[in-house]
This record gives sequence, C-alpha cells and structure tokens, in this order.
Amino acid sequence: MTDEVAVEPKSGKSSNHLAPGDVGIVVPHDFVYSHPFAFKSGQIIPGFTLRYETYGALNATRDNAILICHALSGDHHCAGWHKAEDRKPGWWNNIVGPGKAVDTNKFFVVCANVIGGCQGSTGPASIDPSTQKAYGIHFPFVTIADVVRSQKLLLEHLGVSELHAIMGGSMGGMTAVQFSIEFPAFVKRVLAMATTARESAQAIAFNEVGRQAIMQDPAWNQGDYPRDGGPRVGLAIARMMAHITYLSDTSMDRKFGRRRTTLQNQEGVPALDAPFEVESYLKHQGQSFINRFDANSYLTITRALDNFDLAQGYTSLEKAVACVQSECLIVGFESDWLFPPEQNREIALALLKCGKRASYAELATDLGHDSFLLESEELYAIVRSFLGRKTNATDFAI
Amino acid sequence: MSNIPEKRTIDMQVIGDWVEPNSKVLDLGCGKGELLGYLMRQKQVISTGVDLDFERITACVERGVSAYQGDMASFMAAFPEGHFDRVICSRTLHELHNPASVILEALRVGKTLTVGFVNHGFWKNRFYTLFQGKKVKNLIYPTEWDESRPANPVTIADFEAFCKRKEIKISRRVHLLGDWKSPCRLFPNLLSGYALYDLSR
Repeated sequence: MTDEVAVEPKSGKSSNHLAPGDVGIVVPHDFVYSHPFAFKSGQIIPGFTLRYETYGALNATRDNAILICHALSGDHHCAGWHKAEDRKPGWWNNIVGPGKAVDTNKFFVVCANVIGGCQGSTGPASIDPSTQKAYGIHFPFVTIADVVRSQKLLLEHLGVSELHAIMGGSMGGMTAVQFSIEFPAFVKRVLAMATTARESAQAIAFNEVGRQAIMQDPAWNQGDYPRDGGPRVGLAIARMMAHITYLSDTSMDRKFGRRRTTLQNQEGVPALDAPFEVESYLKHQGQSFINRFDANSYLTITRALDNFDLAQGYTSLEKAVACVQSECLIVGFESDWLFPPEQNREIALALLKCGKRASYAELATDLGHDSFLLESEELYAIVRSFLGRKTNATDFAI
Repeated sequence: MSNIPEKRTIDMQVIGDWVEPNSKVLDLGCGKGELLGYLMRQKQVISTGVDLDFERITACVERGVSAYQGDMASFMAAFPEGHFDRVICSRTLHELHNPASVILEALRVGKTLTVGFVNHGFWKNRFYTLFQGKKVKNLIYPTEWDESRPANPVTIADFEAFCKRKEIKISRRVHLLGDWKSPCRLFPNLLSGYALYDLSR
C-alpha cells in the first residue's frame, strides 16, 4: 500500500545536516489507503494518501512510537533535511533527533501531513477519481476527528501496536487530545501545547478574515482554479494576518521595532514612505506561503479548526475526556493570545476533575503562540521527563 | 542538629501514616513532588499537586506525579465540594497571602485537610528575636528579610485559636520537638518545633 515518493534525495552529505543530534537526510513516504474512507460529515472518498516521515526505528514490541501532529500550516517534514542544499530543516528539528528531547535513538517518531492538506496528502487539490478533476471545494468537510482516524490507519499500516506518546502544538495539540478520546487504549501519553479544547470566537474570527481574503480574491473562482494559479493575493493576505496572531507585541517589537527597510536621505533618516521592516517581513511570509500552500486546503483546515470543540456532543468537557486513559501533559505559554494559558488550563482541569493523570505547566516566554517551537532548555526538560519515564509511577524510586 | 532533607522525611512519615490507601489527595504547594511520590508508592494514592514554579512541575512530571502549575485558590475553585479525600498543606501555610481563605477552600474541596507548619513560637525562635532583635534566620529560614517570600510567622497558639474561631474540627494533632522527631507533650507552643494537624468541618 505504500509507495516511495518519487523525490529521491541526492546523496549530499553536508556536515551541517549530519550534525550530532540531527536525523540528517530524510525521505518522505506515501501511505496509500485504497478503501473507502468516510468522514465525520458522512461524505466518502474512495481512498486517500497520507505523506509522512519517520525517524528512528520501531522496536520489537512495537510500542515505542511517537506520533507528532502538525499545526495549520505545518506538514509531515518535522525533522532533518530533504536535500543537503535545503535552507531549513523540518519544522520541529530542534526537538526531534538522536539524543534530543524527542529522542530518535529511543523512539520511532512518525509525522504525517493531515488529510485535507496540500503537502502530499489527499486534499482539495488532489484529483477526484470520479471526475478526474481536482476536488476543490467539493472535498469533504474535514474535522480533527477525521485527521485522527486517517492517521490511526497509517499507524496500523506501520505496525505500531500502541503509541508511547502523541504530541503537538496548536492544531497538533487538538489532534493529540482528540486521538486519545477516539482511541483511548492506543495512546499512553498525550503532550499538547499551546492549544485549546474549543476554538474560541476570537480564533474563529481571525480564520474567517483569512477565508474572506481568499474567497474575495477573483482568482479563487469558487475554488475552481488551475494548480499553479489561484487566489495568490488572498492567500498571502490570509497568511500575513494569521502570522500576526502567532507572535506577540513584545516579540514583534523586539524583532522589528520601527525600523525601515531602506535609508533614503544623506542624514540616514528614513523616508516617510520607506516600508517598515515588519511590513516586508509579513510580505515575505505571505509570498513564501503561496508557493507551498493551496488556498482550498487553507479553507478546509481552518474550518476543521473552527469546528473543533471537544465538548460538542457531550454535556461537558469532563464528559468528553472521561474515556481518556493516557497520562496527559498540557503546556501553555504565557504570551500566547491565540490559545491563551486559560484555554490550556481548562483541558488539564477537566482531565483532573475526572481523576485522570494530567499535568499542566506554563512557560513564561514572550514569543506568543509560536512559543511551542521555541528553542528552550526548560521546554526540552519537561518534554524529556514526560516521554522518558515509565508510565507506572510506583516504579520510580527517589 | 539534623539536616533539612531528614526533617522532610519525618514530615512525610507522619502524613503518610494519616493518608488512607487509594485515596484522592491534593498537595497544595507540592514542590518537586517528593511527598506525593512517596504517597503514591506507599499508599497508591490518586494525587495531584499544585505549585507555581515551572521547574518544580517538571520535577513532578519526572517523578510521575500529576502537577498543575498555577494559583491554588483558582485551582480549588474548579472542583466540587468534597472532591478530594485529603488536601495537604505541608510547610506552605506561612507563605500564603490569604491563609484563611485557602484553609476554608481546602476544607470545601477536601474531606480532610492536613496542615504541617514550622512553629514560630518555638523557644529558639523567641530567643533569637528577643536577643538578636531581628527576623528569625536559621536552617529552615536561611534568608535575610529582603530576599524572603512573604511570610506569616504562624505559631501553634495562633493556629489553634484560628481553628476555634472558624469552628474547624481538629481530629488529630502531632507536635514534634526541635529535632522534628520526638513527640512534644508539654507546652507545645514553646517547646514544639513542628506541628501537624488533621482538620475537618
């Protein structure tokens, strides 16, 4: 069922990419599920593909796997390099690798691009076999539960018997908690960061502005656009706006201040019309995003986020998490105003009220929502402590 | 004179004797989770700790002790009446801004509240203040006034008067001498270095 992705890495062995603690050059794989898959919405597709990467090796008892779940604009490439020339490693390379907090010497780490995404997994830009055209806006409504169920099929395919842990930040944190509700016995540990039990009105509002920017762009054309075209202006604006919500006032001020990109006159005083650095930064973010992201996928995944509410269908959040068997660690970040500490606390409190083994920790960073990607020894220490222990506390001696 | 880690062990043993096996325990100001780790091993308790410090929470996670980083009052506010079999407040009381409300809230969410504190009425503390004319500084409270956290120097007499005033039932009390080992039978407010109470409404 698995095809090797056509992208074969050149055998570039740059010392930089094979630094101690790094996984080095990695090759993505495709998991092709060729049976009908029914979404929560009831819509069915004849099959799907998930693009994924793995690092480390599955042990004989098949219970050392860690599933990493990515955020809205993330993908399956969370560690290492695809090519020696790559400018950047995978998005969580600082935490995943041999000897790192998520130690690939000990764990078999799996990360997949979500269904509905556009980095190789089946999504709106994929071809609908029944029409031989891209699904576009006819792609089924995706929920976080669908993301979970499709990734569970991948893990079964890989022969994983239980997850040592599932972890992620933001949407990845939602996926992790949802996974332990959908498959309680399969997950030993949940580590969710910078996340929420339900998308708040403010977060939905930001997503809606992004969606409107896309849909108001004439090139969106009701979701029907060529693969290399589409609402590039709208998608870039959506990304620029969303990016602001991932940062904080303090961190932006430190990074850009009021600096301008060009100095115009001889006194070194910038011209009033010279762009601020933060403007060109956001433009760059927008431009690089449109080269790698599909607008319809953006609509699909932001709707999946907005629809996320763990307590939906239950009378309370506690009822929703009552079936959880995993040990949980929720980490909030003081300066996160997209999914503020309070929303992270709420998850931990609900678990504790049901008598679950759950911890809540809060890091005092000023980097906003994206703090979970931070290079922080404190964060590494708690991740390592949580992943490294035996589940049974009575095994631990002072 | 015995050192502090040994003294902490004594505290643990007394509380450990009082805790019922398999009960639900909340530790307010759990620190690095030593006490809860001990109770989990000895009494298989279902436990949660609350503390303010990230590194201490990390130490709890390392031990396998569930811990919540945050303010104890707002933590307790989230729980229904009698949720915990026992709430423990060991060597935390004197650092609270609002000890009365924490004690009353702990007696709401817990069926029993165990309190352990250093008796500031202990004769050595009295002598220190009397002769030095300074804030008490010793092995237990090693810091100068300017680097100390807010402290309520509570005494056994103060505490028992408080319980009487608030109609809190004292079901058990243990007063230990200055070595924190031998029981103190006479004039506890003067001769006891450490006091432990089991309280209920």
